[in-house]
Amino acid sequence: MASETEHRSLGVFECQLCGLTAPYSYVGQKPPNTQSVVLLEESYVMKDPFSPDRDRFLVLGARCSICGKLACVGPECSLFYSKRFCLPCVREHLSAFPPEIRQDLEKKKAPSSSGPSGRACPRS
Amino acid sequence: MVSRARGGAWDRKLVGPRLCVSLSGHSMAPPRPREGRGHRDHRWAPSEEEALEKWDWDCPETRRRFEDAFFRDEDYIRQGSEDCHKFWAFFERLQRFQTLKTSKKEETDPGHPKHCVPALADLPRPYDSRYRINLSVLGPDMRDIRGSGSQLPPKRVSEFRRALLHYLDFSQKQAFTRLAKLQRDRAALPIAQYRKCILQTLKQHQVVVVAGDTGCGKSTQVPQYLLAAGFSHVACTQPRRIACISLAKRVGFESLSQYGSQVGYQIRFESTRSAATKIVFLTVGLLLRQIQREPSLPQYKVLIVDEVHERQLHNDFLLGVLQHLLPTRPDLKVVLMSATINIMLFSSYFGNAPVVQVPGRLFPITVIYQPQEAEQTASKSERLDPRPFLRVLEAIDNKYPAEERGDLLVFLSGMAEIGAVLEAAQTYASHTQRWVVLPLHSALSVADQDKVFDVAPPGVRKCILSTNIAETSVTIDGIRFVVDSGKVKEMSYDPQAKLQRLQEFWISQASAEQRKGRAGRTGPGVCYRLYAESDYDAFTPYPVPEIRRVALDALVLQMKSMSVGDPRTFPFIEPPPPASLETAIQYLQEQGALDASEALTPIGCLLAQLPVDVVIGKMLILGSMFSLAEPVLTIAAALSVQSPFPRSAQSSLECAAARQPLDSDQGDPFTLFNVFNAWVQVKAERSQNSRKWCRRRGVEEHRLYEMANLRRQFKDLLEDHGLLAGAEAATPGDSYSRLQQRRERRALHQLKRQHEEGAGRRRKVLRLQEEAEDGSSDEDHAGPAARHAEDSVDIQDVKFKLRHNLEQLQAAASSAQALSREQLVLLKLVLARGLYPQLAVPDPFNSGRKDSDQIFHTQAKQGAVLHPTSVFASSPELLHVQEPQATCGGGSRDDKDKMSSKHQLLTFVSLLETNKLYLVNCVRVPALQSLLLFSRSLDTNGDCSRLVADSWLELQVVDSEGAVQLLAAALRLRACWESALDRQLSHQARWRRREQQQRRQRLGEEDEDEEEAESVSRAEVAALSRELLQFMATKVPYSLRRLTGLEAQNLYVGPQTVTATPKLPGLFGSSALSPHPTKGGYRVTNFLTYNCLLSDTDLYSDCLRTFWTCPRCDLHLPLTPLERMAHESACATDLHGGPGAEEATTEQSRKPSALQRPYHCDSCQKDFLFTPTEALRHRRQHM
Repeated sequence: MASETEHRSLGVFECQLCGLTAPYSYVGQKPPNTQSVVLLEESYVMKDPFSPDRDRFLVLGARCSICGKLACVGPECSLFYSKRFCLPCVREHLSAFPPEIRQDLEKKKAPSSSGPSGRACPRS
Repeated sequence: MVSRARGGAWDRKLVGPRLCVSLSGHSMAPPRPREGRGHRDHRWAPSEEEALEKWDWDCPETRRRFEDAFFRDEDYIRQGSEDCHKFWAFFERLQRFQTLKTSKKEETDPGHPKHCVPALADLPRPYDSRYRINLSVLGPDMRDIRGSGSQLPPKRVSEFRRALLHYLDFSQKQAFTRLAKLQRDRAALPIAQYRKCILQTLKQHQVVVVAGDTGCGKSTQVPQYLLAAGFSHVACTQPRRIACISLAKRVGFESLSQYGSQVGYQIRFESTRSAATKIVFLTVGLLLRQIQREPSLPQYKVLIVDEVHERQLHNDFLLGVLQHLLPTRPDLKVVLMSATINIMLFSSYFGNAPVVQVPGRLFPITVIYQPQEAEQTASKSERLDPRPFLRVLEAIDNKYPAEERGDLLVFLSGMAEIGAVLEAAQTYASHTQRWVVLPLHSALSVADQDKVFDVAPPGVRKCILSTNIAETSVTIDGIRFVVDSGKVKEMSYDPQAKLQRLQEFWISQASAEQRKGRAGRTGPGVCYRLYAESDYDAFTPYPVPEIRRVALDALVLQMKSMSVGDPRTFPFIEPPPPASLETAIQYLQEQGALDASEALTPIGCLLAQLPVDVVIGKMLILGSMFSLAEPVLTIAAALSVQSPFPRSAQSSLECAAARQPLDSDQGDPFTLFNVFNAWVQVKAERSQNSRKWCRRRGVEEHRLYEMANLRRQFKDLLEDHGLLAGAEAATPGDSYSRLQQRRERRALHQLKRQHEEGAGRRRKVLRLQEEAEDGSSDEDHAGPAARHAEDSVDIQDVKFKLRHNLEQLQAAASSAQALSREQLVLLKLVLARGLYPQLAVPDPFNSGRKDSDQIFHTQAKQGAVLHPTSVFASSPELLHVQEPQATCGGGSRDDKDKMSSKHQLLTFVSLLETNKLYLVNCVRVPALQSLLLFSRSLDTNGDCSRLVADSWLELQVVDSEGAVQLLAAALRLRACWESALDRQLSHQARWRRREQQQRRQRLGEEDEDEEEAESVSRAEVAALSRELLQFMATKVPYSLRRLTGLEAQNLYVGPQTVTATPKLPGLFGSSALSPHPTKGGYRVTNFLTYNCLLSDTDLYSDCLRTFWTCPRCDLHLPLTPLERMAHESACATDLHGGPGAEEATTEQSRKPSALQRPYHCDSCQKDFLFTPTEALRHRRQHM
């Protein structure tokens, strides 16, 4: 049951905060093959890799509405409150957010970055 | 059991922390729906309040109405889908959660100054969790809802809508968390650090060796790195089929194309490969077959050869082939992946290829040497002493608190040893209640193997008793303790006796380290070695490569068909023992697959294309000629899989009784045949019960599934090779039943998909005493869980029905039950000819022995016994000669030999040596006829009353006349059969060539009618069958005896005594009778040597003429047996020749023959060149 319209990858989404990468197949607010759901932000979307259904999508991330950085939807990197905000920006403007969000953030530690490092090749 | 596990997992997911974050982190403000605008609320005033009070979300009708409105076919969630069920479960939790929260007061928003950053200026106030959801549902219009007649109160609609939003958000978060975890886990693998390095090295070199220990992630990651780097047409070989499937699944999942087709696998019975596939996992054997077809392997650009260190036969050969191929394919990249064992061997074999070495991820492991006392071996003869193993269990119980998790993995040498320890360990476990004991070996069903991955309840440890399968093939997480017996049972091959030996060996140091490493995968571990450190030091560094311990027939055959040159000089990475190669070549020559110059014969070509044992391949070819393809397919498949009858002692009594009606007194292959056919009938009639049916009879059902798969593959192969007419499209005529069939298939597909989705490999929790319950073979005793499993979908059954045409199989099975006696005899002949020379003769004293003491002798080995599952082990009288007739003179030296027409031999599929020498899969065949038809060498004395087959079995026939007749018939039949087979094969070869040509050129008609005519006609086969049956039915009393070694040595007269033999005419056509160079006597055909046996009567062979009347032409003369045979054959040709016979014979007589003499006829005054018989016949004309 391979779908005829194999989801063509448009490129690789890379979170500018945590470095998560995944191929995306759509950017926008109306994911393909779906009529009943709209997204409330310009999102990077891939077909849900964990579902066999063609119309299942997965939102990978979007741009922070303050700094414009590409951030994944992971709770360590960004949050959505009527718009997408990356956590560094939220922290910077913490007072602008309702107390519920502030409380939420307090529970989290600052994200620790772990950049991948390569190993040396064999001499050849 | 599946659904139970699913439910459990589901519950966990719902109460999991993620939900808490998304729901409890912020207070649930009473809904202030944007959707259900205020003005509508008025219309629903008081009565609605009332309705709301009584509102019941659990009511199925209510739910259905909402589903009708929101979960339509075009919606994101569809009615009845799994998502739909998940939603309602989520909904219930949400409801419960909200009732808890409603008591909470609504916080008043203190009002907020507008923010200077525009993005922050219009943040909604007050806070509502809904604003945290980045999507919105375009639900159905309210008018639509009411229009459809189902009145949904707007308040409820918004409640529903809100829940739906939260659900979608929840599932987004869930999927994203999975994705993130996946990426994190991948990045954390040791090999991730080497990604760039591997890709860079591969760019610069044609061959790269990636060496890393288990757990470093090479098998799953390297293919993905290549994929991500833009490589396509990647093949990754695995030694085992199961690894192909699991890796393709894993890599597909990790590379986020689980449901795409980028990653596929291809194994013997299944392929998920398509045009879009970029990486395919396949078995080494399959890749070799692809090379066989297309030597330059144009379909791949990168080749990953995994597990090269295992030194599997096929892998070693593949490396040799690649070494050869690489210079001609400079664009082909090769990655060799190996454990960190003997890496330089591979690197230097490919011109010092660069090595990327990746450290494994191992925690420190403490090694404790606990050598066993020598005392135990003496007393208990064969059974393994389980006490040292129990001591370790005890030690763990005493030393480590039960709360500290960590399971135990015990390496034992074989199944019998596992059984011995299992019994003892289970007794211990039932006392302590702290262990769940599980066996693990390759003969277990997949479901049983899977149990080792389940988790033990708290405070209980798993104790897994395993063969070396857990050393590399199966990786179990959570192992903290390892017990290493230091032993392994391996098949070793004795090229001289052509005998497989299952022997126990000490393992190698590499294996010992591998076993130890299993304790340190998830944390620090302990490894108990049940041998001394000095033993370890004495182990060989590496295991013996397979090429040094197995039969090489199949390999040599494949090498021949791939034209890689003389196997003796092939540049193997490490060459096989020369003796093994020689034996293999000789064996293939004996089997007729190679000719004297070691080139492939037509039958050899065909056999090389069949991925089966040579003997089985021969059976298939022979069977298809006699229109016995269907039964032979089943038998060939049955003989190619492991026995479906497990050896567990307990259950076998009841099961054997239940199985008894299916036993065939002809032999074990026929019992298997019956079992398979009966099973197919069960499947066809009351499908769901086949599992139960198998259990009651002690039959391992998955072996039957394997048989069905293999049978299908054989059938395809025969069809592909033009040996079997392709099945006519068996689609039912009317459109209704076609529709019906399509519907059924769709339902099956859906079942399969559901199963695959649902079985997200959630680990179940094992129960204490699970084994004791499951061990019971009688389903009435099985626990509720087992019964539950019975009700659930039998996924094997679903797959089976998808893969096979059950109707066709059933038809084959029914026709098999109606097999006539004649067909059965022919079938046995086909088996016997295929299996020849695998023959055993019963010991003459067997009838006086106990059932269990029956012994048999093969040419090379004496004293073999029957495998306990054999029908002849339970009914040995089937092989006894029942009619002890008066012993007879006839020159017999051994008066004990019985004269009977019912002597039988056993033809067997394999010879297996463990503690005893076993004959496996035996069929009884009539001795005299089989030997006459199949022997590679037949030697006779002067009157043909004494025959020696293959220099080891002596037959003495009382009635020498009968013997001569039989011999003559055998000669004729063999020639006919051989020629029919030859023509069939060359016809097939031409057919195949044409087929290939057509495929290449797409040119339709090319003189095919002319070629078609040359195939063996049906009438000819029918005539041959008839004659064979007649031959098999002949009853001639004879004795059967195995020659002693001394006799075998002094069997022949030798070349110097040739003069004693009279000049005799050629037996058949023009074949010149020449003296045999070593045996003496005369070579009549390539297998028959006349009068070469050393015996007293030889001297008088000239005087053996007796008066004889030819039944055809009434000639009455004193003739020697050989003269008589010659006359008979000539006379028969006359008869067949018809009107032109006279000419034909004269034609024939003109051919030069050593025995023709000038003859002058006085009556007609002419000169002829006549053999004595011809002269006699000529003279008769004038009388």
